[in-house]
This record gives sequence, structure tokens and C-alpha cells, in this order.
Amino acid sequence: MGEMEQLRKEAESLKDQITAARKAVQDTTLQEAAAGITVVGRVQLKTRKTLRGHLAKIYAMHWAVDANLCVSASQDGKLIVWDTITTNKVNAIPLKSSWVMTCAYAPSGNLVACGGLDNMCSIYNLKGKDGNVKVMRELAAHTGYLSCCRFLSDSEIITSSGDCTCVLWDIETGTQKTVFAGHQGDCMSLAVSPDFKFFISGACDFTAKLWDIREGVCRQTFGGHESDINAIGFFPNGNAVITGSDDATCKLYDLRADQELITYQDSSIMCGVTSLAPSLSGRLILAGYDDFNVNIWDSLKSERVCWQVMTTE
Amino acid sequence: MSSKMQSSSSIAQARRTVRQLRIEASIERIKISKASSDLMRYCGEHAKNDPLLMGVPASENPFKDKKPCTVL
Repeated sequence: MGEMEQLRKEAESLKDQITAARKAVQDTTLQEAAAGITVVGRVQLKTRKTLRGHLAKIYAMHWAVDANLCVSASQDGKLIVWDTITTNKVNAIPLKSSWVMTCAYAPSGNLVACGGLDNMCSIYNLKGKDGNVKVMRELAAHTGYLSCCRFLSDSEIITSSGDCTCVLWDIETGTQKTVFAGHQGDCMSLAVSPDFKFFISGACDFTAKLWDIREGVCRQTFGGHESDINAIGFFPNGNAVITGSDDATCKLYDLRADQELITYQDSSIMCGVTSLAPSLSGRLILAGYDDFNVNIWDSLKSERVCWQVMTTE
Repeated sequence: MSSKMQSSSSIAQARRTVRQLRIEASIERIKISKASSDLMRYCGEHAKNDPLLMGVPASENPFKDKKPCTVL
């Protein structure tokens, strides 16, 4: 038997092993386990602030750790840092390339980053000595667009790219520390685990991958989606991953059971998911869709939660 | 690309695939009953701190517009 044939057989056998091992722990389903819980009642929302200033489509935003400041990126060629309580613009940073697709706020609050069709991740220092915000580093090596970036610290950032890889960068030297290769399609989104040891990526190969940051390896791959994964996030305790896809569904994958626990879908929803975030407790999943709607899902029951915007107190 | 180069790069790719699958096959998995109960417990324990579930008292809401005060 040639080596190619041997390798093909071994790959098939390993895939069967993984399928069997996942099946072996299916002693119940999340739906059954949560059967006794009542669906979350109506969620009441009130618009508190509107941040006006961008002149074109806003592609991305990211909260600072203090949950007071946030940064947004628009194809008007600006990054704006907002004080969300006063609605003041703390910084309005002009970009070299207006084709920005992502932005990130460093946990320290000192740096922001952005990137897009320029294939680069640009790092800006908000706390420069003379008060001016300047480009501190341009991280260039990706051969495809920058879809997402997230800081680990002021010295390290992780990026995901249309070149199918994710990269861990040393910001100081501007070099690639680790290249995370394995996806067979554009990487669209990434999220870092609460303990900063892992990150997850969602890609156009319809899979999500869990990466060990220090070892530089992919530990787990999650399939099941039938189209590109556009959005990804961690459940607040770091033990589960939530994905949003062009197949109009969101899924929750448990990391320790190594499989999908539940799909959030409705026959009336036929357009892709573009963004998502869990609420603080993880009980609610807010997902944005291509039809300009937001759906709020009860994460344990896979049912949509009714919500309304209150116009009076 | 000569066919020899093509086949050696597909063998290299096949080796990488098998190496990756070995890593993924080797992990320990917990039962779904435990995974589910841990998720449910986390949601339950943190529900009281979740503003979308519990609402935010007006006095603690930094986004609420402050009403003007009159000094008497």
C-alpha cells in the first residue's frame, strides 16, 4: 500500500474514532437536561445613548475593559474612541487605509488596533507622551485581509485573516511569534478565552477551531455548520463556544464534551448571522442578522426571547 | 509543478492531517449530562448579576440621563 493510501486510511479511521468518542458521552442532550427550566421572559431594553460621528458604514466595535470607553471602526477611514457615558469622542484617529474591517481595544486601555483590506494590523498608542495618537506598529505578513484582531496584552495580539491563518504577534518587534494554520477557508472571527490560554476561530470552511496559544496547536475542531462562520464568542465561563453562521443558525459547542450541544435556529430566519455576544450570565445570546434584526436567544432552551424597546421609564 | 512535487506536497498535507487528527482524537471528553449541568449552574449562579435578566436600578445606571437638580 502506498504511503498516500495508508495516510488516507489512517485519517478515516481517526475521524471514525472521534465520532465514536463523541457519541460515547451522549448520555443526554442539553435540551433534555434543561427541560425543567422555564424560558426567559420578555427582556426590556431602552436606548440610552446614540454615538454619532461616523460618516460611513461602521464595520466593528470593541469595548474597553472598563466598559465605559469603546472603539469603533468605519469605512469613512476613522477609528473613534468613545466615552459612552458622555458620548464624547475621546480620540478620532485617521487611518491610512479606509478599508477597515476590525478593531480592538487592549485590556490595559493604552492601545487600539485595526486592520482590513490592507492585510495589516495597525497598532495605535492612545497614551503617547505628546498627546497625539500615532501608529506604533504595522504588523504586516498576512497575505489576505485582516478579519479580526484581539490583544492578549500591550505586547501581544492575535489576528485572523482571509489567508486562512491566525497569527500571534510580538508587537514590540513587529514579528510573527506563531502562525496557526489549519483552516481550509478564510478565517472570519476570533475570540480569546477568559484565562488567555486559548483562542477560538471561525472560518469559511464551516468549522470553528480551538487553539492552544503557547503550544501553537489546534486542540479541537467543531463542524456542523453548513456555511461560513462569521462570528464567534466564548460562553462567559470559558467552557463553551458560540458561533454564528451564514447558514442562519448559531450553535453552542461544549469544549469539554467536544461537541455541539444546541443549535439556535428558527424556520422563519433565513439570513446569515453577522455578529453575536452572550449576556453576562451566558443565559442570553444576542445575535445580529443580515436582515438588520437582532434576535435574543435563551441559551439553554434554544428559544427566542421576546424583547421590546421601552420608550418610557 | 512536476507531478513528483505535487505528490510530495499532498503527502506532506496528508501527514499534517493525520497528525492533527491524532491530537484531536486523544482528548478526554466529559459526559453531556455534566457539561449541561455545569452550564445551567453557571447561568443560575450569575443570573442576579445579569442586567439584561434583572434590569438595572436607576440609581446604579451610569447611562441614565441625570435629571437636573435644583438647589433650594
